[in-house]
Amino acid sequence: MLEAANRDDHFMSLTQPGSGGPTIVATFDAARSEVEADALRGAGGRAALERYSDRVDAMLRQLFADAGGHELRVAVIALGGYGRRHLCLQSDIDLLVLFEGAIGAKDERFVRAFLTPLWDLGIVIGHQVRELDDFTRLEINNAEFLLALLDARPVAGVRSLFDRFRTLFHTPSTHAYILKSLLELVDQRHGAFNSTLYQLEPDVKEAPGALRDLTATRTIAMLTDPLLLRRGPADPARVDQAEDFLLRVRSTLHLGAGRNQNVLSHDMQERTADLLGYPGAEPRQRVERLMSDYFRHARIVTRALDWARKSAPVPVGPNLGLSREGIRFLDPIVAARNPASWIGAFQAAIDHSTDVSEEALSCVQQHVDRYRADDFFPEAADRAALLRLLTPREGLYARLSEMHDCGLLGRVFPEFQAISWRVVRDFYHKYTVDEHTLLTIRNLERISATTRPDRVRFRNILAAVVEPELLVLALLLHDVGKWRDDDHALESVRMAVDVLDRLHLKGEARETVLFLIREHLRMSLIAFRRDTEDPEIVKTFAAFIGTEERLKMLCLLTLVDVEAVSPETLTPWKEELLWRLYVDTYNHLTQRYGDELIERNQAGLDELLKQRPDDLSPGEITRFLEGLPQRYLQLFSREAIYRHVRLGRDIHPDEVHVSLERGEAAIWTLAVTTLDKPYLFSNICGVLSSFGMNIIRGHALTNPNGLVLDVFQFTDEERFLELNDEAHQQVLQILETVVSGKEDVTRLLKGREQGVLHSKNASRFAPVVRADNEASGRYTIVDIVANNALGLLYRISRVISRQGCDVDLVLIATEGGKAIDVFHITKGGSKLTEAEQQSLTSDLLRTLEGSL
Amino acid sequence: MKLIKCIIRPNKVDEVKDALAKLNIAGMTVTEVRGHGKQKGHTAIYRGKEYNVSLLPKMEIEVVVADNLADDVVKAVVQAARTGEIGDGRVFVLPVLESYRIRTGEKES
Repeated sequence: MLEAANRDDHFMSLTQPGSGGPTIVATFDAARSEVEADALRGAGGRAALERYSDRVDAMLRQLFADAGGHELRVAVIALGGYGRRHLCLQSDIDLLVLFEGAIGAKDERFVRAFLTPLWDLGIVIGHQVRELDDFTRLEINNAEFLLALLDARPVAGVRSLFDRFRTLFHTPSTHAYILKSLLELVDQRHGAFNSTLYQLEPDVKEAPGALRDLTATRTIAMLTDPLLLRRGPADPARVDQAEDFLLRVRSTLHLGAGRNQNVLSHDMQERTADLLGYPGAEPRQRVERLMSDYFRHARIVTRALDWARKSAPVPVGPNLGLSREGIRFLDPIVAARNPASWIGAFQAAIDHSTDVSEEALSCVQQHVDRYRADDFFPEAADRAALLRLLTPREGLYARLSEMHDCGLLGRVFPEFQAISWRVVRDFYHKYTVDEHTLLTIRNLERISATTRPDRVRFRNILAAVVEPELLVLALLLHDVGKWRDDDHALESVRMAVDVLDRLHLKGEARETVLFLIREHLRMSLIAFRRDTEDPEIVKTFAAFIGTEERLKMLCLLTLVDVEAVSPETLTPWKEELLWRLYVDTYNHLTQRYGDELIERNQAGLDELLKQRPDDLSPGEITRFLEGLPQRYLQLFSREAIYRHVRLGRDIHPDEVHVSLERGEAAIWTLAVTTLDKPYLFSNICGVLSSFGMNIIRGHALTNPNGLVLDVFQFTDEERFLELNDEAHQQVLQILETVVSGKEDVTRLLKGREQGVLHSKNASRFAPVVRADNEASGRYTIVDIVANNALGLLYRISRVISRQGCDVDLVLIATEGGKAIDVFHITKGGSKLTEAEQQSLTSDLLRTLEGSL
Repeated sequence: MKLIKCIIRPNKVDEVKDALAKLNIAGMTVTEVRGHGKQKGHTAIYRGKEYNVSLLPKMEIEVVVADNLADDVVKAVVQAARTGEIGDGRVFVLPVLESYRIRTGEKES
């Protein structure tokens, strides 16, 4: 059975070993005689060469069978000119002998048995013997071989093996590499001919306008846009005629020279002109006619190549090409069947600062109604791509408008379709609801690149938003509820829930989007209609907002939303009010939260106790929470809080309880509980730095019982935790030994600190250190903005401890290369005196400047 | 006639408008303005850096009323716009020499 199945899979397996047909020599001689006769008649063009190639195919199949190829998992594949069925009389026969698995002794015997008769016939064989696995990696050191593989054609053996080879070989990245190499090879080759086709003795294979250029033209089209040549200025039939002519000439050259010689030299010109039947009394006249025809054809080829080079879309993604008209689907038929690929066209247009071509937009428009929302993002990767598209940057508004115009936006988000061309009459809005919405996104996009001095402050806020695409998603949906006439914010939230379900957006990201939509009017109401100089108003607003991240997003949303109402609505006056509310709220969130502690009857506490897992008692939870800042409840999810409570259980002096988890985007979260002691915070930071961890966000909190909870988010750029099984344990052990004082963290850091001091990442701005006793009732607040560097927090906190201060609360943030840290500190249980503040800030500045 | 020019906190506009409406004063001009009084603003701090905020956003409301109404209007504005804190604003009363209606060119008495 196995044998039979194996045979069925064999390409042209009808040929049987020793089937009694003519001998190989005779077969080959007959084929050659035929093609020689064609050349002699001046008819050695395409048809003749195809016949000759077919005869050679048949001969190879016979040899394959005779050599026992049918017993093996092997395929013989024609490459290059032979693959194209343009085998000339004296051309090499390029073959790929492809084995499915590792090549064994039996396989090697087959290769010898298969090739030896060919060598005996004096045929020059260019052969490669490979295993299928070889094609899982791109071979980048042999561009000519890769080009020859593009013409691969199965001749004998297992057909499915050929198909698998094709699948492995034809990938977008391989195509892109081959295209790049091909263009380089063409330039080099042209250089060797002084880049002119008008050669008196042209090489009909290599010269500009000759056969290789013709193949290059077709290859460029094949790799980028199969219909490219049909769009060109030259009639494809004329290119075919040029090819036939060049092949006929080449056949006469091979016939005359008896070897693979392609130069149409002066002596060969007369003979070729005669064989091709050019009229004229004198040989000179016949030669002139031949050469004039040659140059005419070579010019057609050159023009076709130039056109292809200029017009070929650059592959920029699966089935996507960048052309002069913008982003195109290389194969519109494939695109029409694959709606999940459409978002990619708009992403590519943004990436390449271009439009989506009219042709692609028409394709989308024509087919969009066949699909439902889910069809556009069936996989997690598609959903991630859709979110990525929403990153605010130049071109986003234009692309979303194109998507809207061709009906795609309303299909991807049917909720958005509900406000298409929707007119709501009020005193302020000047545009339809859909356009107002898209304009908010345009305004945000403009902020992302603005250089206007009064706007740079908002650009900086945007640059600091961790997931700006969520802000754009919220903008896109903030007014969808306006399809109805009542409270639109709540209706928008209701509709947004469906969108977020389809996008599988969960957790904090989901809550943030819903919060922004629900509250999209709140900040403008407070900024423009309330007395924001009243600290109580700011305090209430800050408590409502909860975190700086939400504040940043709501501030930007408010700004762009007001601006999109009409050109006059957002005045510098309003901008200033909004900015001030932002700053006051930001300061409240980062500096005053230490004064607002969780109390027994705290809002939200009941829910936390009610939902608690079985292993936690209410007493345990309240003991842990009481005295922590209220902000803690807003910063962490219920699950995280329960984890922290468990972590704080039964803790003894010198003990460190640690949980270490890897989150999304390779960000690790380390939660540490321990009992407070001098240098604790700097020691923990030091340990993380000693492992090369880059701390990007974090919070240090202390409760009145001296229990410390530090939560750090960091990246592990050296992949220490990922690559070492023992890493978790090692970090824990070192933390314990350092915190208990058995190990000095400075020793661990020695090598690392050297690296930082000598790093090329020199300072781009002077560090800012500011101490303040006004902001908080309990703490001296130290604001620090400095270049982020490995060990920065360690160095800062060490100075603070050295000055005899206690680190009570810390807020850690980074924005690009900037570290923004807010320390809440005391000395002997009180705020610092003026002199102590002075001494601390100068010490800190010296440390920070010393590490520039 | 008197021109009454009120510089008030932005959030007090609605209350002042309501108070004026109670006096049957319908016509007014409302402008977003920026300025400072005696205090010359204050210093705002954002991320450790000081920003001098010398010009504070205020609203300016202008009404023109008959001489005999001017006192009531001033009282109403002061009452509506007052918080008792620094920055509540000012009311100025200016004489108006003549007034014309643009549509008709007619001089108003």
